[in-house]
Amino acid sequence: MPAISFLNAGLLWALPAVAVPLLIHFLSRRRLPEVPFPTVQFLRALEPREIRRIRLRELLLLLLRTLAVLLLVLAFARPSLEPRGAVIHAAAAVGILLDDSESMGALDEQARPRMEEARGRARAIVEEARPGDETLLAASTEPDAVTAARGSDHVRAARWVDQQAARPLPARMAQALERLRRDLGQSRLKARELYVISDFQRSNWDPAAVRELHAAAEAGTRVTLLPVVESRVANHGFTGADPELKPGPEGRGLELRARIENYADAPTERLAVRARLGETLVGAGDVSLKPQESRWVSLSIESRPAAEGGDGRAPVILEADRDALPADDRWYALLGTPERVRVLRVAESRGGTPPPRYVPLALDPAGDRSSGFEVEDAGPGALSSLAPSRADVVILEDLASLSADAEERVRAFHRAGGGVVILLGPHADPQYYTSRLLPGLIDLALDGVERAPAGSVFELRARLPGHPILEGLTVSVGGPLSQARLTQIMRGRVLSGRAQTVVSTAGGLPVVVAAPGVSVLLGSFAEEWGDLAFSGAFVPLARGIVQSAAHAAGAAEEAHPYVGARPMARLAQPPAVALSVRGPEEYRSQASVEAEGAGFRAVADAPARAPGIYEFRAGEREIAAVAVNVDPLESDLAPEPLDSLRARGREEIAVLAGPSVLAAHLRDTRRGRELASAFLVAVGILLLGELALGSARVLRP
Amino acid sequence: MTANAAPGAPPRRLLDPVFVSKLARIDLRARFVVEGFLTGLHRSPYHGFSVEFAEHRQYMPGDPLRHLDWKVLAKSDRKYLKQYQEETNLRAMLLVDTSASMGYASGGLSKLDYARSLAAALAYLMINQHDAVGLFAFAGGQGELIPPRASSAQLRQILLALERLTPGGTTDFAGSLHRVAEHSTRRGLVILLSDLLDDPARIESAVRHFRHRKHEVLVFHVLDPQERRFDFEREATYIDLETGERVTTRSQDLREDYRARVRAWSERLRELCIARRADYVAVGSDTPYDRALLEYLEKRARLY
Repeated sequence: MPAISFLNAGLLWALPAVAVPLLIHFLSRRRLPEVPFPTVQFLRALEPREIRRIRLRELLLLLLRTLAVLLLVLAFARPSLEPRGAVIHAAAAVGILLDDSESMGALDEQARPRMEEARGRARAIVEEARPGDETLLAASTEPDAVTAARGSDHVRAARWVDQQAARPLPARMAQALERLRRDLGQSRLKARELYVISDFQRSNWDPAAVRELHAAAEAGTRVTLLPVVESRVANHGFTGADPELKPGPEGRGLELRARIENYADAPTERLAVRARLGETLVGAGDVSLKPQESRWVSLSIESRPAAEGGDGRAPVILEADRDALPADDRWYALLGTPERVRVLRVAESRGGTPPPRYVPLALDPAGDRSSGFEVEDAGPGALSSLAPSRADVVILEDLASLSADAEERVRAFHRAGGGVVILLGPHADPQYYTSRLLPGLIDLALDGVERAPAGSVFELRARLPGHPILEGLTVSVGGPLSQARLTQIMRGRVLSGRAQTVVSTAGGLPVVVAAPGVSVLLGSFAEEWGDLAFSGAFVPLARGIVQSAAHAAGAAEEAHPYVGARPMARLAQPPAVALSVRGPEEYRSQASVEAEGAGFRAVADAPARAPGIYEFRAGEREIAAVAVNVDPLESDLAPEPLDSLRARGREEIAVLAGPSVLAAHLRDTRRGRELASAFLVAVGILLLGELALGSARVLRP
Repeated sequence: MTANAAPGAPPRRLLDPVFVSKLARIDLRARFVVEGFLTGLHRSPYHGFSVEFAEHRQYMPGDPLRHLDWKVLAKSDRKYLKQYQEETNLRAMLLVDTSASMGYASGGLSKLDYARSLAAALAYLMINQHDAVGLFAFAGGQGELIPPRASSAQLRQILLALERLTPGGTTDFAGSLHRVAEHSTRRGLVILLSDLLDDPARIESAVRHFRHRKHEVLVFHVLDPQERRFDFEREATYIDLETGERVTTRSQDLREDYRARVRAWSERLRELCIARRADYVAVGSDTPYDRALLEYLEKRARLY
């Protein structure tokens, strides 16, 4: 049963005013004017018939006036209806988690800045705080910096809200929720509320974040989700750039490649892409992307841009047409410093014959690392010292099986962020791979060797043209992969959606299967199984397989440092003096140096706060630079379905879309549903009724 | 017919009851009313002029040329009208109701004031026409009777009596009028000025009595405008001036019904008079006096 309470209960002392109409009524009856009249015989005849009607009307008028005064007094006392379950009048500990991650810098469906909407919601909550309330404020990118404000200190809380802006960082929802839940739990106040204001990007809501959300609800906190967008907004953005300039078409000029992705379910317009060196335009190109397509766009460059540093690197800024999320429409790259992927290729000699070196040749044909690959050939014994410090990717080529120790090393390497490439072949034991090595790395099972029917071969078909493994090839879905043919392949079964068939035979048997950090070739580059190593597809395919495993694993993170991570640079020689790092927006940091494989790496002490070029300096001399970009993790702007966040039995996780719904919710939970306006309307109606009923009571002067 | 229809006519306000009531002396009131009235009657057939020459009066624009004294005009080049003295044997009796209800005044002039002024004007007119006129002021079965005579002293006496009248007592036609009727042996004209707040049957009885005595009866039913309209606008206690009875009500609730009842009552009185071949004239205390005087002259013309 809803209860009525009064927000201005002090005004109820005016309730005796309801006696005023009663007094006026009775006093006016007693003080009726006496009018001498020649005769009352005509009135007397009429009176009995009218008197009942008059008295009834008098009573009605009295009732209307008394009610009007009563309701007027009550309206000024601000009555409020307390909805069932609302915690009114009890001070509450209110946690506000404001998402300030990169995607909050995007526009919403109505082209309004998401952050502005989010600040508006947060401000509404803060302004409704009552004396005695405690407000805890946290931003999703800085979960450890919780700001507390007393209920009456609206200014402090409002100032915090106004200072929040979208930052080029991914949200750390789980950590932020965990911190707020803990702080709310420590409050002496029993009523606790947690408001999450976010665009609820799918990438932010991993199982850990969802768990924290539910944990807060289970702890008795009223959790309310305030989405600032409801649907996906179209967006495109850079995901990478090839620092190596390639010869231009027909040998003219140079070509700079940038990778750009369309996250929308609709094709893009023709996007213009420009490259700038400082303020000078050095290259341009354009591209049209299909829905969900990721591809390289070529920018024609007349000549190699003049380098700034002594190492021949030129920092360029790539820019695409701006759209919903401007942060990912710009990409920093250092030309002349191709990614260097350190590859440990493990193969074994058989019968004194060394294994064929097709793969090392494909990756680093000149042996000078200019292709971006640094290949180390080794036997299975090298696996005992496999570690991320030695290699980014390990290639297991045509190995029958691994020792238990080597197998464990490979798994640890993968867990530590290393990429694993498995090239099966004539000597691989499918049973071993199926039962021992593959589980935990990739959901793939092998059923033995499949031979092509006599007189025919397996022709290869592309299944996922946009996949990084195929990025060096021009193919369409189901299109042939050059003239590559295989006579035998390992018969494989993909066991779950976490593994993807990138290349298959024309008959649908998987040939190349990829999972995060793992690529498996079920055919072979060896001559026994076909002529793949001699086809035009060989080099790009081999490089794609290795590159994909390297990128999908942690190795790529160092090659593409993102804002929020500490800038890192590889050095050939250890510096003689202490290193400092300078970056955009007055970034200054020290750097520490540690040995890494044959070289060294320098890591800044402070994380990068903004995208741009970060320079590593030994004294005044620049010895290395690194381009830091915004993590494209949130660029898809795909919101998580909120039902999936709240669907948990008895937990009360409310979703309030729109500022007016929030305002009503706050009003209900803070003050109850105010009835003053309804009361005033009722007073108006009563007075109108009084006017109609007693319209003839206007005195003539 | 309007007073300003002819140049030189006295202002119409001389016939306005409120204006006339401001004159202190009733004889002046009577003179003003009658002269104002007669001057305005320049095209009226009611000259009141007889064949016997009485006096000259200076010609006023609008006066009929047929009474112009051509000889005087020829001799002195001055325009005079010849006025004639009428011979008559009319005996008129003015019956003025002085009951308490006649004292009611909603706008400053009470019904009794109106009746008094009208009676004085009628008396003045009659005496000037050498008619015999008497007065009977009555209330509550009592009354002061001045028998009809045609002398100027009679006029003074009547005017003095009228001036002394004060409202009081109840309207009692049965008692008062029957007594007058008994004493009026010679037939004549009976002019009743009253608000007729009595039982209609009793009024009819009195009228019938006069008619039985061969009197002509002219009834001026004097009502205050507020008595017809009942135009009060708030709740009040109404006190009957004669009986003291009190009724508390809101006029706006009863107004329509009240007006209908008063109309029906007046209509009944009118029909009652007509049935007895008496003339009934409803006047309000704001009705100009010429209306009443015209009614009288019409009546007189029918009689003689």
